[in-house]
Amino acid sequence: MNIVEFRSVWKFYDQKPVIRNISLAIQENERLVILGPSGCGKTTLLRLLAGFITPEKGDILINTELVASDGTSLKEPRDRNLGMVFQDLALWPHMTVRDNLEFGLKAQGIKPESRERRIRETLRLTQMEGYAQVRPGRLSGGQQQRVALGRALVLRPKALLMDEPLSSLDLQLKTRIQREILKLHREIGFTLIYVTHDEREAAEIGKRMVVMKNGEIERIGPTHPRC
Amino acid sequence: MTVRLAVLWIAVVILAVAGLVPLLTMFLQSVVVDGQFNLSFYAQIVTSSRQWSLLGNSLILASLTTLGTTLVGLPLGILLGKSDLPLRRTFIFLFTIPLLIPPYVTAVSWFDVLGRNGLLSKSYPSLAATTSSWLFGLPGCVLVLSSTFLPVVMILTITFLKTVNPHLEEAARLSSNWFGVLKGVTVPLARSGIFLASLLVFLLSLGEFGVPMFLRYNVFPVEAFTQFSAFFDYGAAAAAAVPLALITCLVLLLEANFLREKTYQLRPASGAALQIRLGRLRNVVFLTVSLFCIVLVLLPLSALLVQSASQAAYTEAIWRAGDSLLRSLLYAAMGASLLVLLGFATGYLIHSRALGICRSVDTLTVVLFAMPSTVIGIGLISLWNQPSTTFIYATPAIILLGYIAQYTALSSRITVSTLSQIPVSMEEAAEISGAGWLRQVALIIAPLAKRGLAGAWLVCYIFCLRDTGITMMVYPPGRDTLPVRIFSLMANGPPDLIAALCIILILCTLLPLSLLAVVIRLKRQES
Repeated sequence: MNIVEFRSVWKFYDQKPVIRNISLAIQENERLVILGPSGCGKTTLLRLLAGFITPEKGDILINTELVASDGTSLKEPRDRNLGMVFQDLALWPHMTVRDNLEFGLKAQGIKPESRERRIRETLRLTQMEGYAQVRPGRLSGGQQQRVALGRALVLRPKALLMDEPLSSLDLQLKTRIQREILKLHREIGFTLIYVTHDEREAAEIGKRMVVMKNGEIERIGPTHPRC
Repeated sequence: MTVRLAVLWIAVVILAVAGLVPLLTMFLQSVVVDGQFNLSFYAQIVTSSRQWSLLGNSLILASLTTLGTTLVGLPLGILLGKSDLPLRRTFIFLFTIPLLIPPYVTAVSWFDVLGRNGLLSKSYPSLAATTSSWLFGLPGCVLVLSSTFLPVVMILTITFLKTVNPHLEEAARLSSNWFGVLKGVTVPLARSGIFLASLLVFLLSLGEFGVPMFLRYNVFPVEAFTQFSAFFDYGAAAAAAVPLALITCLVLLLEANFLREKTYQLRPASGAALQIRLGRLRNVVFLTVSLFCIVLVLLPLSALLVQSASQAAYTEAIWRAGDSLLRSLLYAAMGASLLVLLGFATGYLIHSRALGICRSVDTLTVVLFAMPSTVIGIGLISLWNQPSTTFIYATPAIILLGYIAQYTALSSRITVSTLSQIPVSMEEAAEISGAGWLRQVALIIAPLAKRGLAGAWLVCYIFCLRDTGITMMVYPPGRDTLPVRIFSLMANGPPDLIAALCIILILCTLLPLSLLAVVIRLKRQES
């Protein structure tokens, strides 16, 4: 079943096309990597899907439901049931780890008992049990990554969007977090759409890879395991 | 329509009702006489040599003040922003004091120094006669307004110098001394900000009426005020206000075309800023700046203190103006709170470009800020002085509308600057987590912007508290504020009483600032 579908999507900035006629279907539980150089449109594609921007032409469907079409956003980001890990992680610095996780649950009207259960479970999954009352500024880079991941997953999204989240980490930490992402994917099961410019990272994380260039899909195919 | 758009539209409508509609109404009333289109008021202005001379006086005063503040404020800003001069923060605070108080209070304090019965007269009676006649006229106005608006140039210079990439200065330092670096690299890179500061000073001086009125130098804003308050000649007052409005718009057109994009978002450059080491000159420069600070700021303030140095003066001040003082504090607090709310909405709108009219809203706030207060006052009266709107006209609501009209630019610009430092992903993360816009604002954006918003509140509080122009024009009977009461008493009140009231007003302004400084220091110690 297609969880996400782009149909002939175009996006323009200052009348210049940054996404050109992209059509793409993403399956449930799939691990898809979008790979390409800076400025090729991969982050724009993610932001179109999240609903932060609207395509001028074409349709976007989530769970077979039309969420944006020809310049109109039909569903707000909050109603699309997606999780996202941002490039800068966007952890709210004035909130504790727990508050960061709880924010979305409260906003979606989840009952306190259920909230509590989900927060505990997410803290366990991300190995952050001892840090619930700590603010993000006091955490290491790897711990911050886990909180960002936990904050996106605590909402049990249909798909998790990750926008180059590991780009600022050193190789050792990057590899460790990659393994943790894959482990979480195995344990929880979610559709992962992962944007990167790093071919090795793409091969580690993805099962299928979309290579983009100048706002277009250059090729789609399976990723190759690293030699 | 989403909640976000609804809130932003409400903010735009409030701003338009407070600022734009009054100006349009005023203009209409100046061209309609007895229900007929009539340009007689304008004909009087154009054909009257007195009006041209007033306009000339206004432009000369504004130009000389701008020249003086720029010539002194630029090097002072460089010294206090980039050099290793001792006590830089203290100097910045001291030089800023005249901006925080109504300009005519500074005029009163200079009168207490240079006037016929001032401090100087006690030692040099014959010299005091000369300085007194010098004070009452163009030189005195330039002196008072220059000391008032010097901090505008100084602070903006310091701010814009921080935006210059230190690597560019380092590259120049390899082949030049500091003077060459400043002349060839730093100042040219910061020139948009310096030019903006000069424009602001020009407009603020052009619209000032308290100081020229006290020092008896006839300018256009005084004419508009006199036509209105002394002769109740409504159309003539409005017609006298329109040329000022036009000059303001013209100057702002310049700013919009040449400076807006360059001066809009202030972000400190990354990397440690280079510091000018004064070396052997350090002591000499320190003494010069200290002396300048003593003469320009501390001497007139001391004269006020000396003049008011009796318990009786303060007792009488509280007895005669205690109610005005309380009203001042109340209106300033209410005005600042409303301004922060409205400024946040307009600032958010400008920052996020959520509506197509965001640029127009920005321009409107800036035009209103630069507009002489007499113009805004006359506009407000034109609109609200109707039998059906006495609930506004006869209540403090009209003062608050005046504050909104004139000062929204302050809170709006501070908001834009604050929001530009918050990554957009913070808001997006909240949005994708399921939060509606109000929740995003209340729980994410506002807490992240709290320092900027607190700063905006304080700046707005100070500007509302020191406001004389608008309040003087529109205050309902029995609802005057302290600056207005002082201004009214200046004509025939005893000097020690006036001085005591001025000191009380200065304390009311500086107390919250001192509190803030203490809080910041405590927070720093905690962290």
